[in-house]
Amino acid sequence: MKEQSLCVALFVWLFCGCQSDSYAPPPPPPVTSQMVAASVRKESDANFAMLREGRTLFVHRCIECHTLPLVWHYRTDEWPGIVSSMSHRSGLKPAEREAIVAYILAVRSQH
Amino acid sequence: MKLALRIVIFVFVILPHVSSFGGARHFGFIYEAPTSAPGSFELENWVTWARTTNPEHSDEVSFRHEIEIGVTDRFQASIYLADWFYENGLGHSGSTYSDSALELIYNLTNPVIDPIGLSLYQEYKVGDRLFEWESKLIAQKNLGPLILAYNATLEAVWEGEGLAEREGEFQQALGASYEISPRISVGLEFLHECVFPDWDDAERIRNVFIGPNASYRHRSWFVTVTALAQPTNTPDEPDFQLRTIFGFGF
Repeated sequence: MKEQSLCVALFVWLFCGCQSDSYAPPPPPPVTSQMVAASVRKESDANFAMLREGRTLFVHRCIECHTLPLVWHYRTDEWPGIVSSMSHRSGLKPAEREAIVAYILAVRSQH
Repeated sequence: MKLALRIVIFVFVILPHVSSFGGARHFGFIYEAPTSAPGSFELENWVTWARTTNPEHSDEVSFRHEIEIGVTDRFQASIYLADWFYENGLGHSGSTYSDSALELIYNLTNPVIDPIGLSLYQEYKVGDRLFEWESKLIAQKNLGPLILAYNATLEAVWEGEGLAEREGEFQQALGASYEISPRISVGLEFLHECVFPDWDDAERIRNVFIGPNASYRHRSWFVTVTALAQPTNTPDEPDFQLRTIFGFGF
């Protein structure tokens, strides 16, 4: 029983201890109207629903193989190729691939 | 033989035309909360070498051949085509078919955007004079490149003549995996088991295993290796285990 408690306590400690922003980057932000507006200004055909789907796919599909990279880790022009290169193995349809790229670029536009 | 032929045709002829990769594992003994993409198919092969010296020396290499299928965004099913093992001990050696199984995982919450990612796991295993029921709660949190995972598992086994022998086990497992690069992760795994022969805790059997893991993924395949040592000294439990999981999608 003592070992079980130790196991749970260790998990809680690791979980809580790493919650600080100094250790872990914040999760991908929810879609805002500013993101949609920024996408429109860049003549993208992204809308709120598309960006929201892009975020959902980004946080669900990509983590099946690896953790999520920071969106500013790669250049804007690199992202379409990166997402495309992994779209087959993650079962992404073309529209879903575009939604992920649109979401990533919309987040980038906020920084 | 006909069944084996059908399986081979299914795996190598049909799957390549319909599928994508199911996902990569970061841990050898711990399950992760995310489920496979809908429509994905993946073949996973497990090899586990276990060395036991208490009370007598034996080496066992067990194998699992598993097909993992992404059913919906949140639900995946796996079929263990065959679990079998090769054992080499005092006075006996040889390979034996053990069982086949069905594994179901339903994802409840996401480990990135929710406070904690949770999934429910259920497994039914059937073999020669063996039935096993295993339920698991899978918890996970992704913090940047760090993955923390926790499994609480309750297992019930009926085996022997008339399935008269019963055994239960409660296991907790905790793991951490740090992604050095998108392709490589390294980490630690910790297992704590409480075994209840005949659903009784009179013997107070407690096992602890701890050790490192490493994972490499590339295109449509991955390999994960975990080595575990037993700091406790429970009879009939392995002193050392080395598990390799090799998975590839079509």
